[in-house]
Amino acid sequence: MFDLENAIRKWKKSLRKYDVFEDGLVADIEFHLRDAYEALRKAGLDGETAFRRAVAQVGTPESIASEYSKNLQVKLDRRSPLRPSRFMPALVWNYTKTALRVIRRQKAFSLINVSGLAIGFVVCMLIVLWVADEWSFDRFHTNARQIYRIYRDESATSSGSTSALTPPPMASILKADFPEIIRATRFGYWQMPLVTYGEKKFNESGYRHADPDFFAMFSFPLVKGDPETVFANPYSVVLTETTAAKYFGQEDPLGKTLTVNNTFDVIVTGIIADVPSNSSLEFDLLSPFEILLKEFIGEDNADNWGFNSFSTYVMLPKTAVKEDLAQKLKGCLEKYAPGDTDELALQPLTDIHLFSNLGHDLRNRGDVKYVWIFSALAVFVLLIAGVNFMNLTTARSANRAKEVGLRKVVGSVRPQLIRQFFGESVLMALFALIAALFLLELLLPFFNTFSGKQLVSPWQNNPFLLLGFFGMAVVTGLISGSYPALFLSSFQPIQILKGTIRSAGANPVFRKTLVIFQFSLSMFLIIGTIIISRQLSYMRNIDLGFSREHIIHLSIHGELHAKYNAIRDRFLQNPDVLHVTASMALPTNIQSSPGTPEWEGKNPDEIMEIKADFVDFDYIETFNIPLVEGRSFSREYATDPETAFIVNEEAVKRMGLQKPVVGKKFGFWGIDGQIIGVMKDAHFQSLHHKIEPLVFKIFRPWYKRLHVKIRSDNVSSTLRSLEKTWNQMNLGYPFEYRFLDEDFHNLYKSEARLGNIFQAFAALAVFIACLGLFGLASFIAEQRTKEIGIRKVLGSSTISIITLLNSEFLRWTAVANLIAWPIAYFVMQRWIQNFAYKADITIGIFVLSSLIGLAVALTTVSLQTLKAARANPADSLKHE
Amino acid sequence: MISKTLMAASTRPIILAILSKGEDYGYNIIQKVKDVSGGSLEWTDGMIYPVLQRMEMDGLITSEWKLSGENRPRRYYTITDKGREELSAELAGWRNVWQALNRFTTPVPVEEG
Repeated sequence: MFDLENAIRKWKKSLRKYDVFEDGLVADIEFHLRDAYEALRKAGLDGETAFRRAVAQVGTPESIASEYSKNLQVKLDRRSPLRPSRFMPALVWNYTKTALRVIRRQKAFSLINVSGLAIGFVVCMLIVLWVADEWSFDRFHTNARQIYRIYRDESATSSGSTSALTPPPMASILKADFPEIIRATRFGYWQMPLVTYGEKKFNESGYRHADPDFFAMFSFPLVKGDPETVFANPYSVVLTETTAAKYFGQEDPLGKTLTVNNTFDVIVTGIIADVPSNSSLEFDLLSPFEILLKEFIGEDNADNWGFNSFSTYVMLPKTAVKEDLAQKLKGCLEKYAPGDTDELALQPLTDIHLFSNLGHDLRNRGDVKYVWIFSALAVFVLLIAGVNFMNLTTARSANRAKEVGLRKVVGSVRPQLIRQFFGESVLMALFALIAALFLLELLLPFFNTFSGKQLVSPWQNNPFLLLGFFGMAVVTGLISGSYPALFLSSFQPIQILKGTIRSAGANPVFRKTLVIFQFSLSMFLIIGTIIISRQLSYMRNIDLGFSREHIIHLSIHGELHAKYNAIRDRFLQNPDVLHVTASMALPTNIQSSPGTPEWEGKNPDEIMEIKADFVDFDYIETFNIPLVEGRSFSREYATDPETAFIVNEEAVKRMGLQKPVVGKKFGFWGIDGQIIGVMKDAHFQSLHHKIEPLVFKIFRPWYKRLHVKIRSDNVSSTLRSLEKTWNQMNLGYPFEYRFLDEDFHNLYKSEARLGNIFQAFAALAVFIACLGLFGLASFIAEQRTKEIGIRKVLGSSTISIITLLNSEFLRWTAVANLIAWPIAYFVMQRWIQNFAYKADITIGIFVLSSLIGLAVALTTVSLQTLKAARANPADSLKHE
Repeated sequence: MISKTLMAASTRPIILAILSKGEDYGYNIIQKVKDVSGGSLEWTDGMIYPVLQRMEMDGLITSEWKLSGENRPRRYYTITDKGREELSAELAGWRNVWQALNRFTTPVPVEEG
């Protein structure tokens, strides 16, 4: 017998397999089924058949369930009316009011917070401007990506050696031989010429020569003149605006004639805007290269492949691949300069400033290493400032606990609170940003003098940078606000309002970690600063092995060269002049000479790179270079100007000569001669480099600089009388001199500058960290007001309370030192490897740094703890 | 037979039209549809309930459990004002479609003159 109820029960079970069937829905369908069943029974069907038909009519549970679940998905998209909307405009005013109230109520805390962050920002901004300027070098040329400098890879003769200098015929030959070189120019100078216009005479150290392609390759726009024809006449010159103003004032310079070295004239055919400060190519006057050949080095050198003294730049089409051309350049030099084993290589123009490490390179280059160091410094400073912010805000959070509790009770949910606190921290960061932008305007001029750059405020030309700074502030705000936001919003209202989270403040472990991290960074910076300044002063004070004081030097170019003897004789009549001599190069700038010298007992295959200079008699005496063997050049030996060589100890060592070295055969540049003296090794080069083999030889035609050693007393009157003598001689050239020690200082100018910047920024970073410590100390002292009061009542002395409060900070600094020491040692060890001669990194530096750090921290902290410890216990017990 | 798409499109207006004549319950609605259409509209009975639920969520109808004449609990559905609006909008739409179909399918009368 068919049992309807049982059948329905079974059928309902099959529905229950699907979650969507809630009781109401099942009832709907069940009653429907019953109605359908009854109707079918009335139609005369038996129970079982009627039930089967009715079930089929209702449909499969699966298909009905899937219809229902479609409806459920729609439902999920709908926000429950009980959930607050994401953004409640009505609360914005309340948030702003609360934020401003917090700032106002805790003025000192807010000031520390905002100013710390602002200083951090401004340091970051200055560094970003500096780094951006370093990166921007040579990128202003429209064709920057297509221009390459040709350099010689000398690895075949001496490993790792390179030279940026190339011979005069290179540019035109390469352009003719390689179709992918669409333009090529030489760039260089031979001497510092005297340029005259009427009464105006200047020695122009910025006089350069180039080929007509120069203007088509580089973006030095002509203000006046036609780039196609400026160099049509070989005796023409293009001036920068500043140079033009120097000679012609308000007159129109075009078509005017300038006289060079009192021997030949050039016509001004074009004026260009001043060369931007971020150009590696620098010049004030630019003339066709032909002048250099005709007037200075002789036209026969136009085809001289051994005359490696100039730069060559080439331009490739946009589509050309550098590597393809580099491949083709292999062995190309050998074709024109038989026996020359050097290879030619290409260096992108945009690499010259930061990435070039070629021999004979341009001056005033940057170094990508410093770009990284400074970028790291910027990040450190921002980290320290951000940590401060996070720390102080978290520490102060206990004061906001009640607010959080109340907000939660009246319906705030966690995301809302998180947004509120993020909003506050971003607001603070934006305040700091505004302060930082003002500070930036104020500090930029100082920073420029400091760094030797001409940075301009981003307001003037760089809206993207401003946007970037804005982003930096928002991100800093978000990151440094993250802990307080997440932490504050997690308070349970019941605990707060009952007062269970009283002294919460924050997770002390987290805060400790932050302080230790911050302090480690500070310690690292202090150690770094000390090591850098020690190295710098070491370089300034090291005994170079010769005398560089009270020596002035003048350029003897053009006609002056012929009058060298006369000038020398007149100068020597002055009783305050001790020595007068001449040389080709400045002692700071003695270059390696191509080729290898010959010496007694030399292995024919042996190669020795040697620095060489042509010097006059008295050179050794003028510079007071000690001789370990033999004698100096002397007029008493008629053969000295022809065959005498003086070498240094390093050269002797490399040649493997045995004593006595004097009298040994030595030949160079095809001259067979002998060694007449051995100099003690001296640091003529910067201390980045090891002392290299050096040879001196007398060779009058190539003297370019005159050196005068004067008595140390009455320097200024001596100089005046020398100038008088000079003018009496009617030489036609101005009396322009430099002190040699300046040149030596210039060797380390970039390091000294960067060192100064680093020190200043490191000091600021430490200052920011101290601000943070100060804030934290005051917070902790405040937290423990009651405890201190009770201790005092029970008989504690002020000293013991200070000790108690300071001991925690002491422990933190100790841990920070442990972290900072090894990192600082590792990093600074690597930095100091750049110098061939280095000040040792001693344990003393670390101890000293720690003492400084400790002293600074203790002073900062004690300012607060002292106040707390001296407070009247009666007051502190009434606290709260 | 009526296509599935047309069926899906017509379900809601038909339910609304039935309810506009007075409150009713699921089984009865289905029966009315079957009677009126003479069987050409064949619905799987169970499918009406998800549709009714959806229409209720959309605010077109409301429902209430009541005891029927046979003393059996039934969920009675009532059309809301929003439902009436929807119905008249649907009707207008369907009429337009119907007219358009008519125009295109009836032979054009030849003008006598």
